[in-house]
Amino acid sequence: MGRLWVIIVREYTERVRTRWFALATVFAPLLLAALMFVPPWLASRSTASVNVSQITILDASGSGLGKRIAAELNGGIAGDTSATRVLEVAPAGLAAAEAAATRDVMRGGAKGYLVLDALTLAGERARYAGTNASASADVEELRRAVRQEVMAVRLERAGVDPLQTSALIKTRLRLDAERITSRGRAGSGEISIFFAITVSLLLYFSIFFYGQNVLRGVMEEKQTRVAEVVMSSVPASRLLDGKVLGVGAVGLTQLLLWAVAAFFLLKIRQPILERIGVEATPITLPDLSIAQGITLLIFFVLGFVFYAALFAAVGAIVNSEQEAQQAQIPIVLLLAGSVSFIQAIIARPDAPLAVTLSWLPFSAPIVMPLRMSLIQIPTWEIAGAIASLAVGCYIVVWVAARIYRVGLLMYGKRPTIREIARWVRYS
Amino acid sequence: MSEPAVEIRNVTKRYAGHTAVRDLSLSVPRGAVYGLLGPNGAGKTTTIRMLLDIIAPDEGTIRVFGQPNGSQAVLDRVGYLPEERGLYKRMVVRRVLRFVAQLKGVPGREADRRIDRWLERFALSGGERDWGNAKVDELSRGMQQKVQFIATLLHEPELVILDEPFSGLDPINAQALKDTVVDLKREGRTVIFSTHLMENAERLCDAVCIISHGDKVLDGGVTDVKREHGGSYIALAIANGHGTNLSAVLNDASLVRRCDDSNRTFEIELADGADPQALLRRVLAAGTTVERFELVQPSLHRIFLDKVGVASRAPGAGPWALGVEEGMSGHG
Repeated sequence: MGRLWVIIVREYTERVRTRWFALATVFAPLLLAALMFVPPWLASRSTASVNVSQITILDASGSGLGKRIAAELNGGIAGDTSATRVLEVAPAGLAAAEAAATRDVMRGGAKGYLVLDALTLAGERARYAGTNASASADVEELRRAVRQEVMAVRLERAGVDPLQTSALIKTRLRLDAERITSRGRAGSGEISIFFAITVSLLLYFSIFFYGQNVLRGVMEEKQTRVAEVVMSSVPASRLLDGKVLGVGAVGLTQLLLWAVAAFFLLKIRQPILERIGVEATPITLPDLSIAQGITLLIFFVLGFVFYAALFAAVGAIVNSEQEAQQAQIPIVLLLAGSVSFIQAIIARPDAPLAVTLSWLPFSAPIVMPLRMSLIQIPTWEIAGAIASLAVGCYIVVWVAARIYRVGLLMYGKRPTIREIARWVRYS
Repeated sequence: MSEPAVEIRNVTKRYAGHTAVRDLSLSVPRGAVYGLLGPNGAGKTTTIRMLLDIIAPDEGTIRVFGQPNGSQAVLDRVGYLPEERGLYKRMVVRRVLRFVAQLKGVPGREADRRIDRWLERFALSGGERDWGNAKVDELSRGMQQKVQFIATLLHEPELVILDEPFSGLDPINAQALKDTVVDLKREGRTVIFSTHLMENAERLCDAVCIISHGDKVLDGGVTDVKREHGGSYIALAIANGHGTNLSAVLNDASLVRRCDDSNRTFEIELADGADPQALLRRVLAAGTTVERFELVQPSLHRIFLDKVGVASRAPGAGPWALGVEEGMSGHG
């Protein structure tokens, strides 16, 4: 059995055996399950939001619009409209009524009040004031109800039969946006953004977390002087390689377990939701080809190696946890910097910023998978980014190995940048 | 057996500000217990690290068992106990030991068998608790030292290198270590250990090398070293505290060239041509109760002080100014 293998096996098994590994592996799918099942279930429980119907409607339009909106908010004509108070007021008395309604809301008598007047009927505006004015779902529901009923009144005034009107205006139109790529229809646009963010954040957190893990491992070996024992048996570079590969394998294991769990959850989501009687839009995942899956893995592995080598070098330089916190800041900034651009890249995945970041070795492992999930990227460009990342890895590992070898045996004072540069040149 | 276990030739190691080891050559015979002696910071650890190929010398060559010291085959025959000890704290003892043995090329199953044997030998298993299944940080310091020692020997190395093995050991573990070193020698293995504690070196070593400030001061078999050092020495031990009368005797330059006064024991170097019997009579006449009066060879301690002090004495400063005394004051 090769010595490298011995080291990899130790790094891997000692980590997989820990409690946090089991916890993290179980917790993430639970979180995902919660995200998949709880929102549709909650949505099904509250078709008419309690907040939205517990309001006062001040109707100065003189057209019965207020009553109609109250009915709509409470689930149609058959609904119980007692939660919604409708006050028909004269336009002149509106100011006084509003003042009274404000006091009522302040006392907690209602969530808010809706003002309807001639302008509303003209299709221009209605006003709402309430404690839930910043809850966009409530406001959206109000807007929809007001629009629909204004339309109905206006249709009736134009001479359309009332029965026909109510049939015509009851549309709950939904707009499903779907992505089209060169491989055909690729699933919902929103979900593809969600998927892209998930993938890049997952890569970010995994690289960050397991990179830190390498740092702590190196620090432990330095502080306990185990490093010296190991280095009396195998070269320092073997220890570094074994550690990076072993910890990387732990990360890969976790990601794969999560992927399998997510896949399984998505499969059983629809049947389970149907069984508990919840209607929900099916989630169609962007169909991920095997080639794309492998590409994602390559980005994770190379990105991890890139950052793990840097973290290992930091671990070898420092002598304490506090020093480590400081010394790793440049690396963390490099990594977190790529993530801070996610929003900009989602907005314009083909802009020069996004393209550049997907080619630079330190941001490629996060930005390229993000862009790949958003838009179609030519194969040559992906291959180029991987090549650039691989070259970056080679250089970083070479430099880090030199810092690592010298740093592991240096105790006491933290070296200056110039001293570190000397290690790289002469070791 | 003709080839030495270790052959270091003209090795130099420089660091940014200073030279840690300068043109060092030494040869360790097979089957010997070899002491690498020197004050703190003399270059002992650097020498050992170069010997183990943990760091590379700037100049010179090192051969172990006649081969370049970097090859895996050579390293597998060497066991190393670093000066500051530590193991993976959160790992189970048996798993750490297995890991260390496998790094030296011992197959896992064979390692497990040896681990059981060693744990029993050091009384870490078989008692009310099997410490082999405990995590390293659950063990007491003494037990951790035992585990570390097992880790050094699991692969049955032909050459065992111990860096300051006695530092931090309690008397019981120090005794166990001494016994093990003697056992290793009896099994035909070569042992190199560095120390600044001369009593240990004196008791254990067949040969020594004294280095100071990166320079070799002397080396060779312990008996040769003592003979070459010359002079006639008396070991004197007294029962009662000594008074001014004894001091007067010991300060008599016609009898005593130099005296190392340790309160109840004295290492006395006789003046040229002085008669030991005359000294004994004078000591008794001073009213001293003598427990021991023996014509001896100089102790390594004495030689060390002489050589290291002379070799690097700065003008106006005695050897004590060099941190030597600090090096001598540890407990073995």
